[in-house]
Amino acid sequence: MSSVNQPRTEPTGTPLLEADGVSIQFGGLRALTDFHLSIRKGDLQGLIGPNGAGKTTAFNVLTGVYKPSSGEVRVAGKRVNGWLPHQINRLGLARTFQNIRLFRALTALDNVKVACRAQAALQVEGVHLGAKVRGAMHNYRDWWRAFLLTPGFMAEERELTQQAERLLEVMGLLHRRDEEARNLPYGEQRRLEIARALGTRPKVLLLDEPAAGMNTREKADLMVLIRKLRDDFSLGILVIEHDMKLVMGICEQITVLDHGETIARGAPEQVRSDRKVIEAYLGDNYLETHGGAA
Amino acid sequence: MAQLLQHLINGLASGTIYALVALGYTMVYGVLKLINFAHGDVMMVGVYMGYATAFALGRQAQKSFLGVVVIFLVAMAGCALLGFLIERFAYRPLREKPRLTALITAIGISFALSYGFQLDIGFLPGAAPRAFPEVITPREWLVIGDRDVVVWNWQVMSLLIAVGLMVGLQWLVFKTRFGRAMRAVSYDHRVAALMGIPTDRVIAVTFMIGSALAAGAGLLYAIKDTSVSPLMGLYVGLKAFVAAVIGGIGHVPGAVVGALLLGLVEEFVVGYAASTWRDAVAFGILIVVLLVKPGGLFGRVAAEKV
Amino acid sequence: MESSSAPSAMPGVPPVLRGILPVLLVLPVLALFAWSMEQSPFATYLLSIMGVNVILAVSLNIVNGMTGQFSIGHAGFMAVGAYVAGVLGLALKEIAISGLPVAMSDQIFLFVALLAGGVVAAACGFLVGLPSLRLRGDYLAIVTLGFGEIIRVVVQNTEAFGRSLGLSGIPQTAGLGMVGFWVFLVVLVARRIAGSSHGRSLWAIREDEVAAEAMGVDTTGYKVRSFVISAFFAGVAGGLFAHFVPIINPGSFTFVKSMEIVVMVVLGGLGSTTGAIVAAVFLTLLPEMLRSAFTSMGAEGSLAQKVDQIRMPVYGLLLVALMLLRPQGLFGMREIWEVLPRWLPRRRKGIQ
Repeated sequence: MSSVNQPRTEPTGTPLLEADGVSIQFGGLRALTDFHLSIRKGDLQGLIGPNGAGKTTAFNVLTGVYKPSSGEVRVAGKRVNGWLPHQINRLGLARTFQNIRLFRALTALDNVKVACRAQAALQVEGVHLGAKVRGAMHNYRDWWRAFLLTPGFMAEERELTQQAERLLEVMGLLHRRDEEARNLPYGEQRRLEIARALGTRPKVLLLDEPAAGMNTREKADLMVLIRKLRDDFSLGILVIEHDMKLVMGICEQITVLDHGETIARGAPEQVRSDRKVIEAYLGDNYLETHGGAA
Repeated sequence: MAQLLQHLINGLASGTIYALVALGYTMVYGVLKLINFAHGDVMMVGVYMGYATAFALGRQAQKSFLGVVVIFLVAMAGCALLGFLIERFAYRPLREKPRLTALITAIGISFALSYGFQLDIGFLPGAAPRAFPEVITPREWLVIGDRDVVVWNWQVMSLLIAVGLMVGLQWLVFKTRFGRAMRAVSYDHRVAALMGIPTDRVIAVTFMIGSALAAGAGLLYAIKDTSVSPLMGLYVGLKAFVAAVIGGIGHVPGAVVGALLLGLVEEFVVGYAASTWRDAVAFGILIVVLLVKPGGLFGRVAAEKV
Repeated sequence: MESSSAPSAMPGVPPVLRGILPVLLVLPVLALFAWSMEQSPFATYLLSIMGVNVILAVSLNIVNGMTGQFSIGHAGFMAVGAYVAGVLGLALKEIAISGLPVAMSDQIFLFVALLAGGVVAAACGFLVGLPSLRLRGDYLAIVTLGFGEIIRVVVQNTEAFGRSLGLSGIPQTAGLGMVGFWVFLVVLVARRIAGSSHGRSLWAIREDEVAAEAMGVDTTGYKVRSFVISAFFAGVAGGLFAHFVPIINPGSFTFVKSMEIVVMVVLGGLGSTTGAIVAAVFLTLLPEMLRSAFTSMGAEGSLAQKVDQIRMPVYGLLLVALMLLRPQGLFGMREIWEVLPRWLPRRRKGIQ
């Protein structure tokens, strides 16, 4: 069983995404306490926990939607506390959403094209004023090229279209390229969100409940797809999921949250039989009434 | 010193009036998450209703205690009805639609009312301001020194009525079952519905109460200014809205605090600087607040669930 | 081949032409109007007003339609442009460039004044937009409304701008040619934006700002930029206005004017450039046609006057009706060539 989960290639190098003692507090509510995470290239990790445990909050902190109250988030070695989500995204971190957030009135192709960026796009070097001004100047110049329809601009547009089409193809959605996102069936919408996230050319991909609402067949396909994405795009992937079979099936390491705290971390078999995890999901009395660990 | 005291009293008097209108804004925002642009204009309609009633009563009756009560009751009831109709037919169908749609509708109604009442057709009064009948013979209630500071009887009455209404509202929101329902709807109207709360009715009644309070405030304003015009809805409404934002929109006591602050600042600017800048004061404060602390003094800007 | 995308697709037409096509449609219509009315000063005035309204509506559509924000103080930017261009026009009135015919010199000065007005308005757009575009929708509406009012109060209290009495004597050099040029330009810019990656980012912000941000779109930056561009053109429109009306005063740039433009954009369809043009033309002509219809029917003068007054509450009711019955307006987010093909034989798009 565990051999299926062996990473194809050894995870290498500095961690692409790190959370170091991250906590976040909303008023009186501590949503995350002392959260640690480390994702390297080639990792396929899972983040599970009962509802309200703080999983999506963790995603939100990692991607910059919330600023941590304490601790540090690092992407590609850089400290990103307080950075805006789009800046963190440009460092190489992309995500999907628990409740699908596609650009509903845009076509599937356009959804992905929004995420894709031309080769020459300015990488975010930092968030200080100089970088911001340079970024703005570059953007204004870019608008000029759009008005004048310079050949460079046209070539960029073509390239973006090709990139987007390729991603749609990988996700099996090319036949839907001109369909408005809101008209797609649910499963395809979920896949489109992943295609879109991939458009930002991430190094780490965060998937928030990618299998929600899927049937068994679709989930099996998704498991194969996630592994394939990890390999083909050289990504590190972190998955939030409620479907245990899927999580246990593809994740090499699983972190378990409950009420914002990490109560377990390790390989699937370890986590599955961890007493605290069982209690968190099934209640403190479960082990007593059902006679011991599985 | 005496001048300061006078300005203080004037500022508080107009502040309490703004507060009554601001409460309507803040309550409606609380339950609907909608800035009801038309609130001020509904108030204006109510004032005209009071005006018409005063005329119907005749010069003698309108000054009697009973007459004043009737005028207030008619205006407030009429406004409540108008508020109910607007909510029922213009806002309720759009409740699940994006906020922008409801906002545009609110502006549309505001326009229809304020400019409609400027027409000279039929029962519509026309744009010219009219003198509001003298329902209360102005009498000095308290004089300090050699007329250094004068407190008028209508100021006292205005203060008493305004405070009375506010206390009543506070009691309603925090001490009654209905008030609890209102608060529940303001937190999450879908969940409130699931809990068995008749959301539609709660929202409708909230609207009616807010509108009635606004009518009361409008009458007090008309008595103070001794004039009524179709544009008063826009001006008073806007200032009351600023007051609600200052306090934190959705926060009931905050609206009162914000309104008092606004009344005072306005009064001081007019008194010590130039009166032509009066209208800019409200907007100036608004912009400063929105830039520095959009949640207002007491409010929390609700984070969008991602 | 360039791919299609819902808001701006135009299958089969080379990209270069896409921006120009709507304007090529509009300009001949305008020219026809001008010609058929035989140079009557009133017709010229009406067409100029129509042109200004089109510029205002199309520019506001960039912010309210494409980016999905709620700016209701557009008349404020118009006022800034009008007064700046007006003051500049007054200053340059007695001067002419030597060696050039007077008319040409006039146009050059006009152009400079318009640019100045537009740039100052754009700067205002930046100053207003940068802090407030971080706020939620309803708050932005209030701030833009407040901005418009503050401009009005500032003008009313500044001697150089003529206070409430206004500025008069501005050289009346804005003819249909100059107006037409700027109409052409704003439509071109709007269409180019809509069909570009920048436009796609704006649409994305409109659809779901949080998701756009997560996908690497600098949402605040884009919102501010759309605001600035929109303000620039509003300023130019104001400058043009100042150069063909005898006098400008704060009364021309009230909240009412802002709402008029909002009604045009909403009626046309939030996001549709064609819609904004059509609605602007329609809502400029309609009161005029009603007014002349009433006067020609021999009705008392006051009824014709009433058209002006009735216009406003009718606009209000129109907004309400639109939101309740057809919130997407006439064209929704689409342009005219996406709507027409239903009646024309359509070239089939191949299976991809």
